Amino acid sequence: MASSPRTGRSSAAIGALVVGALLVLGVIVVVVARVDVGGIGQRIVASLYPPPAVTDRAVHIRDLYNTVFAIAVVIFFVVEGLIIWTVVRYRRKPGDDELPPQTHGNAIAEVVWTVVPSLIVAFMFVISWQTLNSVEAISAQPQTKIAAVAGQFQWQFAYLAQDATPKKCEDIKPEYTQFAPTGEGGGLYVPAGRTIQLFLCSPDVIHAFYVPQFLFKRDVVPGRMNTFEFTIDKADAGGTFRGQCAELCGAGHRLMLFEVHALQGGDFDAWLQKQIAAASASPPPPPSGAPAPSGEPAPSGQPPAGGPALQISAFNIAFEQTALQAPANAPFKIDFDNKDPGTPHNVAIHEGSPTGAELFKGVIFPGPAKKTYDVPALKPGTYAFVCSVHPNMTGTLTVQ
Amino acid sequence: MATTALHPAAPAYRSTLYDWVTTTDHKKIGIMYLINSFLFFFLGGLLALGVRAELARPGLQFVTDQTYNELFTMHATFMIFLFIIPILAGFGNYIVPLQIGAPDVAFPRINALSLWMLPLAGILLILSFFTGGSAAAGWTSYAPLSEDRPLAAIGPGQDLWIVAVVFIGTSSILGAVNFLVTIFKLRAPGMTLFRMPIMVWTVLVTSILVLLATPVITSALIMLFIDRNLGGSFFDPKFGGDAILYQNIFWFYSHPAVYIMVLPAMGMISEILPVFSRKPLFGYKAFVFATAGIGALGFSVWAHHMFTTGAVYLPFFSLMTFLIAVPTGVKMFNWIFTLWRGKLRLSTPLLFALGFLSMFLIGGINGAISAAVPVDFALHDTYWVVSHLHYVLFGGSVFGVMAGLHYWFPKMTGRMLNETLGKTQFVLMFIGFNMTFFPMHQLGLMGMPRRIADYAETAGWNDLNLVATIGGFLIATSMIPLLWNVFLSLRSGKPAGDDPWEGNTLEWATSSPPPPYNFDHLPEIRSERPVFDARWGPKAHGTATAAPAEH
Amino acid sequence: MAGDSRALTTADHSPVAGLAHDARGGISNVVLGMLLFITSEVMFFGGLFAAYFNVRANAPLWPTINPETQHQFHLEMLPLVLPATFILILSSFTCQLAVWGIRRGDRTAFLRNISVTFLIGIAFLIMQGTDYVILGSEGMTLSAGTYGTTYFTLTGFHGAHVFGGVIMLGVLLYRGLAGQFSARHHDAVEAVSLYWHFVDVVWILLFSLLYLLPGKG
Repeated sequence: MASSPRTGRSSAAIGALVVGALLVLGVIVVVVARVDVGGIGQRIVASLYPPPAVTDRAVHIRDLYNTVFAIAVVIFFVVEGLIIWTVVRYRRKPGDDELPPQTHGNAIAEVVWTVVPSLIVAFMFVISWQTLNSVEAISAQPQTKIAAVAGQFQWQFAYLAQDATPKKCEDIKPEYTQFAPTGEGGGLYVPAGRTIQLFLCSPDVIHAFYVPQFLFKRDVVPGRMNTFEFTIDKADAGGTFRGQCAELCGAGHRLMLFEVHALQGGDFDAWLQKQIAAASASPPPPPSGAPAPSGEPAPSGQPPAGGPALQISAFNIAFEQTALQAPANAPFKIDFDNKDPGTPHNVAIHEGSPTGAELFKGVIFPGPAKKTYDVPALKPGTYAFVCSVHPNMTGTLTVQ
Repeated sequence: MATTALHPAAPAYRSTLYDWVTTTDHKKIGIMYLINSFLFFFLGGLLALGVRAELARPGLQFVTDQTYNELFTMHATFMIFLFIIPILAGFGNYIVPLQIGAPDVAFPRINALSLWMLPLAGILLILSFFTGGSAAAGWTSYAPLSEDRPLAAIGPGQDLWIVAVVFIGTSSILGAVNFLVTIFKLRAPGMTLFRMPIMVWTVLVTSILVLLATPVITSALIMLFIDRNLGGSFFDPKFGGDAILYQNIFWFYSHPAVYIMVLPAMGMISEILPVFSRKPLFGYKAFVFATAGIGALGFSVWAHHMFTTGAVYLPFFSLMTFLIAVPTGVKMFNWIFTLWRGKLRLSTPLLFALGFLSMFLIGGINGAISAAVPVDFALHDTYWVVSHLHYVLFGGSVFGVMAGLHYWFPKMTGRMLNETLGKTQFVLMFIGFNMTFFPMHQLGLMGMPRRIADYAETAGWNDLNLVATIGGFLIATSMIPLLWNVFLSLRSGKPAGDDPWEGNTLEWATSSPPPPYNFDHLPEIRSERPVFDARWGPKAHGTATAAPAEH
Repeated sequence: MAGDSRALTTADHSPVAGLAHDARGGISNVVLGMLLFITSEVMFFGGLFAAYFNVRANAPLWPTINPETQHQFHLEMLPLVLPATFILILSSFTCQLAVWGIRRGDRTAFLRNISVTFLIGIAFLIMQGTDYVILGSEGMTLSAGTYGTTYFTLTGFHGAHVFGGVIMLGVLLYRGLAGQFSARHHDAVEAVSLYWHFVDVVWILLFSLLYLLPGKG
């Protein structure tokens, strides 16, 4: 193999020239195109950190992350730097067939790189244990108690009396249940600045309550009642934080969204009282997991509907009817029989297809129970009836 | 050292299909392990492309939620059970008897049985797509979701899945028994335990893990099957069972499983780095103890997958998880100092080995961050974990497999792979891999959960998902130079000869490919580098440099 | 080099089997392999036992209530289970006598004791099966809640292992009658006897846990 001894050095020179040229080119592009390097840089760095923390405990977790992440970055640059430097420095020069020194090891080095990492991980363990204790603490007297009930595939929030001490999910007796987890008027309303204890219940499979801005999640395990506390900073009152189920629970897993609305303490009390009052005016639907009492009266105050009531039933996460007809231009009733125990369903009517505009949404309730919906008049045409909780449950409704 | 010339009529690889199907030769069986595993690698990869295609932009474009759940469940199932675990067993099968100077494994017929159970299980899993839908409860298959009660969320695919995985587990266990007896009993004279190549040590420790852990997941899956089909009550709380029990039994296997998935790859790296640095592995004994330490500690950390269940004694598992970083770090430094002051040949096997080092470093670091329990409360079940697991399993194990493939392909086939194609594959794979999985750190931090088919447009996750998808397709394109390379080299690759890399270990002391009986004669074994010693003379084994001994 | 008589070939009387007896002495490959396999089986039963202990610990009442009778489930040791336990323990002794017999080259003693062991194994399975039928008629089945599930899973898998052991003993009997064992070559006998002892030990544990451990609640 006839290769000149200069080849090694000149290829390194060429490599350096290329890198240098690229750097210069990069700088020119950035300056001419006025790329916001600082801004982009900031966004990139910020993306390597969790979102802004809104609870007291989230702040502790954030601080722990900052420390641990900083250590990680240092370790990465040192070790990766060592790898890269070694590869560059110790490349074999072409034609060099001699063996390098055959070092088998070094006992002192082994001791050093066993002891030093041990100290580092010991430190990381201690600080994370300390943070854990503050995050997991349950106070003697939480000021607000709420149960988050996760079912396939919808969250419900049950507000408990302040002296409630449920030991199991069966002991939950809510003063008021918030059935809609998102949307207008829906979501988990909480008072900022007060300790909130959340009880987690599931009637079916494992879910997880996760709010990214709490930097926290906890599994909702059937047969077990997990609980944790949090306090939203007073400064974050008025904010809304998104939440989502974070444990695969079936086909509707990604639909299990919820919103957390933080209100000022006084505003929260007023809101809760108003909800309790409104709920006791008309009989509230039972919370998920308990069978509805039979013979519940349909909501009154509507003119009698034209024609016989439509019969719709749900069983095994499916409607038992695929195509129905309804009279045009007159309000009508739907007798809806939810046969799935513990599973919330409803009937909603969309324009044209299941993804069309929502024209009617019946109240969602768990089975086994029946409800009658009063549907306002529809123009002639084709509609779809769907279950708002289970998007796979659909059928066609012809109105003529 | 003389080259062994195989008689032209020697039937080693010019043999019939019947020979291959009925063989008990560990080399043919090893190659078939590799072929079967790569088939499922590509199948699992296609499923991943399906996942990435759906996630590229908000909105459900291609599949329904249920189908999406099937895609990621089967992607992971194929990759874990039919690709990475068996391919490492396949390399072990081919290489270990050669490296210890044995003519075959201890139980060749059981070896064949272990092999053939795999495509059979694979067929069951593929069939499950056509029987109403495959398993869709994640590869972790948590109860009660996987129990099909009371809602018919999952069909019979889940049962096929259970049967297939139990089959694969049995294949693994039999393989482990085979490897252990082979390593303990069939070593050539002079090869004491502490003269074995590190590859053999890692296969030994891995086999102990397989032996002790795999039966436990078999028991979990059997209990799941009983719950699903025979009215059992192990895991369903409605009938007095305990959902968390499933997780504990499952993870008791599945955590050691990740070491099963990476230790042999580390063994392969430990063979390649010394050869391509022309120095011995730095700290051989420390390496052995670190490997054994990782194996042992690996049994004590399983509940770090369950930190958010509220049912785990957190400080213990956090501590053990942090501790396991220590022997892993020891290995990392030993590898780096093998390169240090060496004379590095940057051929494809070394490039993949260097890729392993860098990617596994990142995977180990983001894993250590998760070991801090409160941080895990934020990151568990988000894309951060997807990033971590792929950095160690893909950036680690798969890069290790690619390194091993390029290193031992000449030995297995007698042909060299093409360097240009190999380097092209490496560059595409390295860039594609990081493009896919680095953004997942940020996605996880921002709050994107795992196992969702779609996400809100307004969540702020659009751009990074698109980047990850492009990266995924780039990884797919890196398969083209790989396949072309293998095809071309099999047909007309440069003849390799016995020892194209100037290797250290016994497999390089025989022809490429070796005869059915492996060795005509063995060199003296006085260190962990018998072929190096034969080539350079035993004096070269010290710290002084030396000129080649004879020719 | 091809055809070199010093080469190790994998033809005919395979040297791999020959290597089963290390020139350096020590454990035979087959016996080592069986010991390792038994280790994996111990872990399998370990998973089942872990589930049993967990289920039991979580139950407020153990044994649980039989929905058919509204009383707690009750397991009877007589007339089947206690005698079955006794003969299974006996069979470990006869199995070991068979091993000692063949080690001395005493084929008659070997065959006699292996036959007895084999027959006891079959008797055990019959007695267990009969007991299952009786339990089923009393309302105790796999689907009768956690008590039934754990009982039948544990004893069922043990029974499956006994069945496997009976098959292996049958093979030993057949091979023994065909004269395939001698004082020098009887690895299979050693291996199967280890497996049989393992099956017996598991039963003693199971019996103690399921029948002797006091209930709670």
